[in-house]
Amino acid sequence: MSSSTETLVDHFRQIEERLGTLNRVLGTRAAIAQTPKQLIWTLNKAKLYRYTPVVPEEKRHRIPLLLVFALMNRPYIFDLRPGHSFVEFMLQHGYDLYLLDWGAPGIEDKKLKFDDYTLEYMPRAIRKLQSVSGSEEFSLLGWCIGAILTTMYAALRPDNLRNLILLTAPLDFSQKDKITFSRWVDERFFDVDKVLSAFGNMPAEMIEYGAKALKPFENYVGNYLKLYENLDDPRVVEAWHAMNTWVTDNIPMAGETFRQLIVDLYRQNALIENRMVVGGELVDLSRIRANLLTVIAEADHITPPCQSETIVDKVSSTVKETFRISGGHIGIMAGSGAAKRTWPHIDAWLGPKSD
Amino acid sequence: MSEPTTGFDPFEAWRKMQEANMDAWAKAMVHAVNTDAYAKATGAILDAYLTASGPFREALEKTMTQALQQFSMPTREDFISLAERMTNIELRLDDLDAKLDSIVRKLETPVAKESK
Repeated sequence: MSSSTETLVDHFRQIEERLGTLNRVLGTRAAIAQTPKQLIWTLNKAKLYRYTPVVPEEKRHRIPLLLVFALMNRPYIFDLRPGHSFVEFMLQHGYDLYLLDWGAPGIEDKKLKFDDYTLEYMPRAIRKLQSVSGSEEFSLLGWCIGAILTTMYAALRPDNLRNLILLTAPLDFSQKDKITFSRWVDERFFDVDKVLSAFGNMPAEMIEYGAKALKPFENYVGNYLKLYENLDDPRVVEAWHAMNTWVTDNIPMAGETFRQLIVDLYRQNALIENRMVVGGELVDLSRIRANLLTVIAEADHITPPCQSETIVDKVSSTVKETFRISGGHIGIMAGSGAAKRTWPHIDAWLGPKSD
Repeated sequence: MSEPTTGFDPFEAWRKMQEANMDAWAKAMVHAVNTDAYAKATGAILDAYLTASGPFREALEKTMTQALQQFSMPTREDFISLAERMTNIELRLDDLDAKLDSIVRKLETPVAKESK
């Protein structure tokens, strides 16, 4: 065989290998959420897990930490893949770690509201956590809409909550010109009643479209080009595969909760203005006394920084800190730099407050 | 010396274009979606879809409900009602479980103290 024919054969072989990788990455789910955990509580679709500690009890922090993620995404972004997992990191740093997985609401859950999540589900999950951990006090970490839920909970049931960490928390909706979602769900353009009347719950596909359409070029084009350009680099491919598995695994949002999100928060900005009523109780943010760390992603297109900045002025906490970090909504916790910047900062802040 | 032969790469042209214009494209698209015009357009498309599909969906649901009732089969509403009742039972069981936990702990505490 001539050298040019060999080169051509090699080239086709390389293309074949690349296409094989492409097929695998686009057509399969990555092995994610591998950290061992035990299911300790369930209610309807919600599940509470306790991660198996890896540090001896005497070296562990006394105060347990509960992770609460958004309602319309799977929570395993906290534990994306071995070696790149916030859960793994926190376990290695001695935390007694719990995860509240909301599960996927069915049509029978369309009436679930923030009221149910914060006053029925969370208190019961926390009661179980207290029973299992043996500690009355606990810490909460909420991310995205999980931060809305934890903020509401912290205001409604402030007792025993020692530390509150809010990641990219969409709490203040006043600067509508900076929040693209606010524009899209403006009552002039978006009929929330009609959507929920048709679907019951907010469909996962529509939520996924909404999140991706905020940065259409990056999400629909750039993301796939990045993969194609790095098909020969297993490190990039595996990271992409894991993230893509998570990004494409969205779940619907309970209809009434979605209505509250749009009407009470995006349109009326009721939470930050202390006008939000949940289960007949006013959510008064000044009742929050827990130590507060709010983490803001400077390049967040889903929750722009202006949505998370004002909470520190509303709470009564004596210890409060705003930590700003370059990166996006998900990248600050699950990106390649998270293990060097965000996670150590959370540990450094939380560790001394957890004993 | 001649340059090494490069094979056929269907994405090469696209990649070069993308490299050159990625930032500009990205910024332009982000700007485009963050406008009232885009919000109005997507809202109108969604509204048109819901308006068009609504009567069919309602007719289908009505027919299905009637058919299931004719055959004495449970409807979606029946299942929803059942699921809600199940959740209420779960809530009560959870409270009972917590109370039992608390009682067991209280019973165990004096025994532990006495044994010291």
